[in-house]
Amino acid sequence: MALRVFGLNLVKTNRSVLQNVCKTGATPTQQTVAPYATEVTVQASPAAVQKQKVSKAMKAYLKRANEHDEFMKTQHLEFQIGKRHLANMMGADPETFTQQDIDEAIEYLFPSGLFDKKARPAMKSPDEVFPARKAAEFDETGRPFHSMFYTGNPNFFQLLHDIVQETNKIHELEERLLRRGNTPDENQKLDTTGFQLMPKDQLELLLVESIADIEYSNFVNSMERLIALPYAYKSKEFIERFLKPLMDQSKQLEIPKPRIDEQGRQYITTYECLRKTARADVTVRMPGTGKISINGQDIFYFPEEKCREQLLFPLQFSQMLGKVDIEANVEGGGPSGQSGAIRWGIAMSLRSFVDQEMIESMRLAGLLTRDYRIRERKKFGQEGARRKYTWKKR
Amino acid sequence: MFRRQVASLSRLQHLQMSTNAAPAPTSTSASSGEAISEFRTAVTNPGEHSSLHVAKFYTIPVEQKKKIFGGGGLPKQYEQQIKTFQEACLMVRSPALELLHYIQNADLSKPAVRYVVYGANGVGKTLTMAHVLHYGSLNDFMLVHVPWVPNWMKRPKEAANSSTQEGFIDLPFDAAAWLVHFKTQNLKLLQQLDLKTSKEYVWSKRESTPAGSTLLELVEHGIARIKYASETTAALISEIKQLSNAGKCKTMVVIDGFNAFFHPETRIFSENKQRVTPDRITLTQPFLDITSYDWTNGICILSVDKIAMTEGYMASHMPRYLLGKEGFEHLDPFIPVHVENYTEKEFYNYISYYLDRRWINKTPPGFEEQLKFMSNKNPYELMQLVKSL
Repeated sequence: MALRVFGLNLVKTNRSVLQNVCKTGATPTQQTVAPYATEVTVQASPAAVQKQKVSKAMKAYLKRANEHDEFMKTQHLEFQIGKRHLANMMGADPETFTQQDIDEAIEYLFPSGLFDKKARPAMKSPDEVFPARKAAEFDETGRPFHSMFYTGNPNFFQLLHDIVQETNKIHELEERLLRRGNTPDENQKLDTTGFQLMPKDQLELLLVESIADIEYSNFVNSMERLIALPYAYKSKEFIERFLKPLMDQSKQLEIPKPRIDEQGRQYITTYECLRKTARADVTVRMPGTGKISINGQDIFYFPEEKCREQLLFPLQFSQMLGKVDIEANVEGGGPSGQSGAIRWGIAMSLRSFVDQEMIESMRLAGLLTRDYRIRERKKFGQEGARRKYTWKKR
Repeated sequence: MFRRQVASLSRLQHLQMSTNAAPAPTSTSASSGEAISEFRTAVTNPGEHSSLHVAKFYTIPVEQKKKIFGGGGLPKQYEQQIKTFQEACLMVRSPALELLHYIQNADLSKPAVRYVVYGANGVGKTLTMAHVLHYGSLNDFMLVHVPWVPNWMKRPKEAANSSTQEGFIDLPFDAAAWLVHFKTQNLKLLQQLDLKTSKEYVWSKRESTPAGSTLLELVEHGIARIKYASETTAALISEIKQLSNAGKCKTMVVIDGFNAFFHPETRIFSENKQRVTPDRITLTQPFLDITSYDWTNGICILSVDKIAMTEGYMASHMPRYLLGKEGFEHLDPFIPVHVENYTEKEFYNYISYYLDRRWINKTPPGFEEQLKFMSNKNPYELMQLVKSL
């Protein structure tokens, strides 16, 4: 990863080359990840140091960079060894042991009940664990490469600069074409529906700089100004670097095809319907007469009205009430958890029997969303999860 | 969610109310005999009901209702509904018709036949029996009707030690209340028929009822001297049995919650602070006697009910479970009559009845289907659900 440039002379003579390298990235693979984050270690040879005066900042940087390189090297080595050990433990071939295999092995060997996934044990490549750092921003005399070095966030301001440049280019183009009497091509118009501008945290990763909220809003404003231009399609490539597609969830989820049972009816079984600590599997049969059986009982499995209403909602919403039969097996949890689990199962199964439009409105109604809320633990020194004991003066 | 949707449409409904008002008076005037709605029948005599009238409502005249059900016999919430709707309407349903069919074709000279009405909670067992009770009252049956046995076992007005039987418990107020109920139901028959006691009953040194006095005198004595009400009840029932055997009257025994007689325990405490079993209560034995098969000119209609039991004994609604071995053997052989949830037709008729009574005011599209799903066509649940509409 690291581009090592041996010899101070090389640095001196090819400063412009180095500058370019710093800006655009050392290797093509690195460029795709983070074009601004490059590691360039400028190693001064002893002879050259004697000849040329090296600034203190450069010296400190070189030391730091060397240390970092050494550190990463050992980390990589350890990672490789660890990977081989793990592969041997799992009885797999170390050469073809992938990151996915590592994750599975870790999950198997160190099972963790911790809620947060980030808190669970993991083994990842050091490149992922240790964030990329900026390369040398100044030469051996302490002179910065970048003209915007003293802004503190050269990459960010360079980006704003680029945006304005693109905008100006398009303005000029527009004027030229207007003089010729041309109008922008309607067919090529830039369509950004289904896309959004890169969120702040991703932009920060890309720039390897932390930016303030107001700076991000400046970025957003200037990008929007650029996108709104009639000839924005001319700089499509540039704009698309900062756009992220919005996912249409219900389109993404694959809708299972109904199967046919002995009586020739279509049916869908949804397994793993979860809510709180209840889990259910729900079978929906079409056509039916509205029969419902929960653990072999009728709807009075739920004596409470609100629980029965839970089951009613997806059916009534999708206007399938009385058109399908439902069988559910449910265990664990209490009545409201169980009814919630069955409700989700019914809604998920009904997708196979209704049209795309209805699925989308079901999704918007929140019927297809899994409810992840669970009971919050009681805290010591408190009466409950949040409630404190009654305060008494003495 | 369901309720919210109904509520959101309620505003709309108010606008429609004015348009609905026009046809409503014609349907409410059904009682006056001009036009009869589809879901009603003008035949008010249960003896004439046939499968033609299934799922239709008939009205019990006010004075008859007061006479038969004055002392209980209709569920409390149904009574409230009757009061609200200003008419006592019963739906003709197939279990009641089945029972009536059996009774009409029964040979009364044969030993008494026992019918056991059973079914899940809130399916209309009591109202089925009310229908039959109405028939019995109109057809000169002597009614021995216990509206709800668990009232005696679970919350008696007063419990006292029996003076005649050692270790037994009397329920004087409940027995007297039952005697009053018996008297109001059968006053006409008691006056008309020549019913005399067969032997002398000595209550105390000074008080006695001589042989040959009328049953009415016996009953009135029990009501006046509450202390002896339990013994009077026992005497009355044995007299009725003898008179029926002799062919002087025909008797219909209707006991709701009969399985409470065989419950493992009651909520009554004896002297030594122990819960007593139902067989230690003086009222139990006479009613068990009259439900046995060793007499003629009688019909027994008994219901077994989950709610008559207490917690821990409510796993099933089937007669064998609820009666236990002892009770089952006592009744064996009997004719089971299963009461089920509404059929489609009954359900929709009930909805139209509620609409007719303006009990349901909010009618968003598809509300019937929603009610059907929510109530599973269970009568009691339907009644509860439409309360808020």
